[in-house]
Amino acid sequence: MATINPAFGNELQKYGSVNFNACYNCGNCTAVCSLSTTENSFPREMVRLSALGLEEEIQASLKPWECYYCGECTTYCPQEANPGELMMSLRRYLTAKYDWTGLSGLLYKSLPVSIAAFILVFVGVMAFAMSVGFELETLLHVGHQFEMIAIGTIGMVILLPNIIRMWNFTILKPGVKVPFKKYMRSMGELFVHMFTQKRALGCDDNQKRWFEHLILVFGYLALLFTTVFLDWFSTTSLLVHVFGYVVSTVVFVVTIDFVSGRMKKNREVNKHSQPSDWFFVIWLFLMGFTAFVVRLFIDFDWLESNKWLYIVHFTVLAQWALLIVPFGKWTHFLYRSFALYFAKLKD
Amino acid sequence: MKDKKKIGVYICHCGGNISDYVDVEKVREAVSGDEIVFLSKTTMFACSDSNQRDMVEDIKEHNLDGVVVASCSPKLHLTTFRNVSERADLNKYTYVHANIREQASWAHSDNKMGATEKAIHLVKAAIAKAHYAEAQVAPKIKAEKRVAVVGAGVAGMKAALSLADKDCEVLLIEREPFVGGRVAQWDTLSTTTETGKEMTTRLYNELLKRDNITILTNSELIGNKGSVGNIELTVRKSPRYIKGNCHPEDLKRAIEVCPVEVPDEFNFRLSNRKAIYKNYPSEYPQTPVIDMKSCTRCGECEKVCSSIDLSEQAEELTFNVGSVLMATGFDSYTPAYGEFGYATSDNVITLPQFKRMIDTQEGKLIHKGKEVHNIAYIYCVGSRQEEGGNTYCSRNCCTSTIHAAVTAKEKFGKINNFHFNRGLRTYGKQELLYADSLRNGDIYLQSYEDGPPTVTPKGDKTIVKINDILTAGEELEVAADLVVLVTGMVPRADNKVGSLFKLPKGRDQFFNEVHMKLRPVETVIDGVTIAGACQGPKNIAESVNSALSASTKSFSIVSKGELETEPLIAVINDDKCTWCGACEEACPFDAILKTEKDGRTIAQINNSVCKGCGMCTPVCEPDAIDLIACSSAEIMSMIDALA
Repeated sequence: MATINPAFGNELQKYGSVNFNACYNCGNCTAVCSLSTTENSFPREMVRLSALGLEEEIQASLKPWECYYCGECTTYCPQEANPGELMMSLRRYLTAKYDWTGLSGLLYKSLPVSIAAFILVFVGVMAFAMSVGFELETLLHVGHQFEMIAIGTIGMVILLPNIIRMWNFTILKPGVKVPFKKYMRSMGELFVHMFTQKRALGCDDNQKRWFEHLILVFGYLALLFTTVFLDWFSTTSLLVHVFGYVVSTVVFVVTIDFVSGRMKKNREVNKHSQPSDWFFVIWLFLMGFTAFVVRLFIDFDWLESNKWLYIVHFTVLAQWALLIVPFGKWTHFLYRSFALYFAKLKD
Repeated sequence: MKDKKKIGVYICHCGGNISDYVDVEKVREAVSGDEIVFLSKTTMFACSDSNQRDMVEDIKEHNLDGVVVASCSPKLHLTTFRNVSERADLNKYTYVHANIREQASWAHSDNKMGATEKAIHLVKAAIAKAHYAEAQVAPKIKAEKRVAVVGAGVAGMKAALSLADKDCEVLLIEREPFVGGRVAQWDTLSTTTETGKEMTTRLYNELLKRDNITILTNSELIGNKGSVGNIELTVRKSPRYIKGNCHPEDLKRAIEVCPVEVPDEFNFRLSNRKAIYKNYPSEYPQTPVIDMKSCTRCGECEKVCSSIDLSEQAEELTFNVGSVLMATGFDSYTPAYGEFGYATSDNVITLPQFKRMIDTQEGKLIHKGKEVHNIAYIYCVGSRQEEGGNTYCSRNCCTSTIHAAVTAKEKFGKINNFHFNRGLRTYGKQELLYADSLRNGDIYLQSYEDGPPTVTPKGDKTIVKINDILTAGEELEVAADLVVLVTGMVPRADNKVGSLFKLPKGRDQFFNEVHMKLRPVETVIDGVTIAGACQGPKNIAESVNSALSASTKSFSIVSKGELETEPLIAVINDDKCTWCGACEEACPFDAILKTEKDGRTIAQINNSVCKGCGMCTPVCEPDAIDLIACSSAEIMSMIDALA
């Protein structure tokens, strides 16, 4: 027994849903979706649950994560109800529900709050820089330390508890019984999807986007590894030195393509960009680009006279690590992988 | 039997359809000896252009008196060969048809000898009939160039206007004191910006512009005599008890002082009205009326208004018309006691009531003192029921409900609409309204006939539950403040006027047309046409379509001032008839009358009503009735030929 809650539509609108109420349940979206199967069908089911406002069932569902947004459903929807964007909005909504701090929801739903948060981080960085008298050596050192501490803390304090909450919503609460052995045996699924997103290849005509995404993931992870663990900005190894240039270039070149796609609105997936989508691609670009330029300036010994550049990089880094990674679109990368792992457990 | 009659007989091969089994040459030889057969021929295709031309030439060249063609079913080519006869200047009734394909070659393809023999007999029988076949002339009767339109709803008013514009006199008879019918009860209408009241006003003003329309309100049709072309109607016109030209202020006071309050049918009994009343200010005719059924004759109103005269009497008026156009409308289905909580639960009302609520309330939507936010609409109540109930779809209710839901949300703001339907039928442009409602956030839940929603009162709410087939059969519920039963259209409970004309009803108990597709506004009662929702559920546009169509059909009956009637009808042999009444009983068309002639009581055929069906002939013991072109003598001679 479930009680219908039509007000949920208004809530979902704040997460970017467009016109999904227009759905008249023809099921074309599900029929054209190349990932939907008879046993596990979407997106019509999710559109229906959203229209009825059955939040518990939405929260228990992994289906929003099983969609990779090719946009076919939206193209073929006779009611222009935009099921593709609904699935995207549900991912944002779920992200907010998984997040125990509640900050995700705040940032998704309100652009002013997001902007204020970004400014706050910038002010923090400036305050810190001032407190150390803009001394480059200290800034670089603290910047490097910040990265290491942030990764650990965000992972343990925010992301891990959120994954546990997600597990609670989707496995524990709905009463799915999974033997411990299965958790272990299915673990492979988690890593395969996390690093390859191989399921996205099932979408029609998605090879290019999948490949771009793949090299971006590896580029990003490599850049993270290079700067944090190989200390790229201070390294003496030529190999690390060159490698850092390559991976940071990969990151900002691929993201340029992503940003321009969203600006051109050339595909269904790009037509309804929310602030969180813009922040994600632009900050990723800035991360790669500022890192590249900082290292270049170090190589040419220009950084000492251009400390602002490092402060910019540090700010981007801090905003990325404190806002986008724990509360923003970065988490989709994590939740999606876990969703497919949990889906395997439910099988 | 006429002497020296000369006929031609044509035996058709039908390209082998007949000649593969029937030896057509043998048939020709066998029949050519008959005394009236002047020529006999076989032909590959009797219906072909070349053969038709040959037939015309034969008839003219040899001065033939008639023709027999032995070919396929008369259903296919009787008219073809009657036309051939007419082209050769013969009366079409001199033509006789024999069916040797369906009745011989096809039926006996396993027995060629037998088939041939049967074909010979069939053609001989046709020739026997041809001995008698005579020219017939369609009789003409006078047609009164005046049409009565019964019912002044939107269909009746449109029909009246259309007839008046064809220069036909119109008698528009309305039983209620005011015109407008159901449409006057509605505020905004779907897929238009006009209100029902505005529409009524517009049509009424148009009626007044035409001086060949007589409007009779508060008037009931009580008598019907005669037949198509000349129908004598009796109308009882009840008084309004208010004489014209009274001061509006006086009338207003008269309504105020009236002590009688009765449930207001105009508002579907949601409110009360006085015994002296008017449904809404701009209603037509503008004079209010006193409802004598509830008036206590206390005289209070007479004291404040000099125009009131309680002594006014009803009058009976008679009119002669050529045709009657029925536009008597429909009733709304009244749910059974307890059907989805009707009459047992405070929060349950019908769609017409809900529409009146929207119309009469402002600001907030209030029901029984509480503000309404969640509205559950239960569709197909009284429509698409199981066998035994109303099995038909009422066509208009889906659109009407969605329109009401959209209007309520627009007018009152914080409204959530929940539509418990069984599949939506917002056909045509009405689909746009459905799209609007979806975009408004209305929620649609669907079930099959065998799993309707359930309604349970809970505190001051009503819980409506459904196993929603759009959500994989999941059980869902809504706590509704108001449950609206979407009731369909049913035939008028009061069928006096239908009985008066003996109008046949269809399966769904609405008035029935002759042919659903080809004669959609005519009834089997000659001269009576039907329009609007008295024929079956229709929306306004469909009602108006049928009204315009019926007005044209009615006009075509009276337009020439005279009517041709079917010549192949029954005739009475006055000498033989002893009036036992058996024929009158057997006649399905009321075409037999009892009459006095030369001091004897005998039967008389009403030629304009008789359809020549032949029901009367076998019941006549003294054999006093014959059918023209199917007389006893003819039939007997055919039987002899077949034997």
